[in-house]
Amino acid sequence: MRRFILTRLLQSLVALAILSVVIFSLARATGDPLPLILPMVATDEDYANARRYLGLDQPLHLQYLKFVAHAVTGDFGTSLRARRPVIDLIKERLPNSLKLAAFSMALSLLLAFPLGVVAAVKKDTGVDRMAQVIAVLGQSLPTFWVGIVLIEVVAGRLQWLPAGGTGSLAHYLLPGFTLGWFVVAGMMRLLRSGMLDVLDAEYVKMARVKGVAERWVIWKHALKNALIPVVTFAGIYFAILVTTAIVVETVFAWPGIGRLAYEAITSRDFPVIQAVVLLTAVIVAAVNLCVDCLYAVIDPRIRYAR
Amino acid sequence: MKPHLVIAASLLLLPRLTISPAWGQAKASGELTIALSSFSTETLDPVLGGQVVKFYLSLIFDYLVGVTPDGRLSKEGGVASRWEASADHKRWTFDLGQGIKFHNGDELTAEDVKFSILRAMGKRSTTGYAGPLRALIQEIDTPSPDRVVIVTKGPTLIIPPYLSRVLSTEGMIVPKKYVEAKGDDYFATHPIGSGAYRFVEQVTGSHIKLEAVDSHWRLGTPKYKTVLFKLIPEETTRVAMLRRGEADIIEISRDRVKEVERGGFPIYTRKDDSLLHLWWVQPWENTPIKDKRVREALNISIDRKEVAETIFGGMADPGAIPFGLSWAFPDVNFKVTPDLAYPYDPARAKKLLADAGYPGGFPIEVYAFQLPGLPEGSAMAEAVTGYWRKIGVQPKLVPVDYGAFRKRWLDQTIPGAVGYYNLANRDWIGTYALIEKMAYSPSKTSTTKDPEVDGMVREVLRQTDREKISALMRNIFTRLRSEHLGVPLVYLHTPYAASKRITRWNPGSVMYDLNIDELVTSK
Repeated sequence: MRRFILTRLLQSLVALAILSVVIFSLARATGDPLPLILPMVATDEDYANARRYLGLDQPLHLQYLKFVAHAVTGDFGTSLRARRPVIDLIKERLPNSLKLAAFSMALSLLLAFPLGVVAAVKKDTGVDRMAQVIAVLGQSLPTFWVGIVLIEVVAGRLQWLPAGGTGSLAHYLLPGFTLGWFVVAGMMRLLRSGMLDVLDAEYVKMARVKGVAERWVIWKHALKNALIPVVTFAGIYFAILVTTAIVVETVFAWPGIGRLAYEAITSRDFPVIQAVVLLTAVIVAAVNLCVDCLYAVIDPRIRYAR
Repeated sequence: MKPHLVIAASLLLLPRLTISPAWGQAKASGELTIALSSFSTETLDPVLGGQVVKFYLSLIFDYLVGVTPDGRLSKEGGVASRWEASADHKRWTFDLGQGIKFHNGDELTAEDVKFSILRAMGKRSTTGYAGPLRALIQEIDTPSPDRVVIVTKGPTLIIPPYLSRVLSTEGMIVPKKYVEAKGDDYFATHPIGSGAYRFVEQVTGSHIKLEAVDSHWRLGTPKYKTVLFKLIPEETTRVAMLRRGEADIIEISRDRVKEVERGGFPIYTRKDDSLLHLWWVQPWENTPIKDKRVREALNISIDRKEVAETIFGGMADPGAIPFGLSWAFPDVNFKVTPDLAYPYDPARAKKLLADAGYPGGFPIEVYAFQLPGLPEGSAMAEAVTGYWRKIGVQPKLVPVDYGAFRKRWLDQTIPGAVGYYNLANRDWIGTYALIEKMAYSPSKTSTTKDPEVDGMVREVLRQTDREKISALMRNIFTRLRSEHLGVPLVYLHTPYAASKRITRWNPGSVMYDLNIDELVTSK
């Protein structure tokens, strides 16, 4: 098991190293950030000063080596746009993204579990079809559209919930639902198909034959086994929620890592782009590693096969 | 619990923004919330932010030279209560007002002013107008705690406006002792000024919170205890916040004005906030643009009134003078007479093209990109290409992001192609600085090459006679217009929607400044 984890860890580190080169090169391939930062009336001297101050006057390979050397110590440089240490910006934004993702995930699980189970148990009934519609809509409606409609109707017209920003628990509801609907749909479908498989299994039939109450059969025996893929996917979904919330964070003015990435990309803020992408990669790699380990624990055949 | 009961319970638990009316109260109370689509760089240090962050920094910092809401220099609005130049216009003496204190209690003195100007001219500064100050200022003396003398390398009239609120942030006064003790990086996140509001908190991408000082030398006791600038990129969200009472002032697009007005929310407008201006990328000597008749044809083939009505919802007026920023016109006594307005005359445009040797038109690239405050950018570019197509020109729309266009423009790899800006309106000195960048051949961002304009631009800086400067500026405008050295499309008006408790507000006509002073002053 230890060897399995070490191999996985090494693979993740290699992937991160390759990614650091790719993102460093791509960020610079988009062009010079200074015209977007300096005022139009800036002089050549202003440009030279800014370039020197921000370390953009050095050769690219030196910039890269400096970036890597500092990054391993948690120093991602200074934001070209905000002129603050990138790590400070990340510390400011990441907790917001994590909190929103956690809320969204909790809401998704809360909705997906009963819907998935009931849809499987009541297969081909009205309830099942309704659950399917929810799933299809959740996976097909664009997030920005859902967000804007919710803001317009729930916050603007009905004035029930805050339209945007952070603050109380109420601020989480609209962005949390918007972000989580896609996950609800995915998890519900996963749970439904898992439940359908399990409900047809021999041990479930045996339980029924033995006279175990149907509710007990469904919620204890069947659900427990149908949950395994759902739990593993929940981890991956959580990483996705943290790292892909750009649209939701922008629409709901949620100051998270997604919006930080968007702002950095539009202003060519290299240090922030590099840091956010690397951070995203670390989160995804860490979650994947955990999921792999979890699989290995659940199913020993996986670790012996490698 | 039934769903509607859950909602009702949630409503009771929701923290509502309660803002008590603050007008006329002796003590600051309540909160003023301003929701905008962008904070630009979000920096808090005047020498790092530049003009685009003036709207919030001007509540934290005072300027050396103040300004009235309509852009005139004011002896009441800045820390300098009077200023005068020596006979040769090489020594500018500023006398400072008494009893002005920074938020930490330190007295604002001449040393702070000197430190602030030197800092704005320093290598760390990216304010944009630092360049001309570096070129002009020889030394700064502080003969007494309330007197600053700026000695320039040559005669000039531009020192007061360059250090005023009318332009950028170079004139903002920072506390010398505090900055030296804490360091630049600390100051950049914990700024202290002498303005009516002190800095409380910034969460980048979210908000900037300011708190009123007990009493401000210029604005009295501020009406609102706190001012909260909220960064809300999505307009639907801003409008919903206004409806829910979560925001007092919001930036709003021109096409939603009527809808929001119908909801009973007052609209305040910055008239002629910017000039939407198209130009040709240099060098265009070997392109059809070199011919004055072609440039005129491209100008008169556009129906500016239709563009103003259809694309900008009527919140725009036709432009007439290339790089002619209208807030400068009264300063230099320039009048846009009816004969200067570009008529819509496609038939004559076709004839001009034929006379110039292009009866079948010619291909031209039009770069389409989004700019801050101009969501209509791409639609406008499409409309312009439509008008040009009607006279036989073959425009090709090239959708790019602004950064990519700017690189090609500065590298001069797309000669004769069309780009555009929504040029923020400004006074004569700001307009002069803009023309020096965009219509003066030696500048690498120049879009024109006209020896006559170049000569007059050079002459402006040498002059110290205000009347002669005005005459030169008038001649520059006239020449730019007669040579059709650009396509001044429309002046854009920028609307802001306000909550019903904001009953009076003049957003003013100062570049990148919303005149929040009027909303918070008790004087």
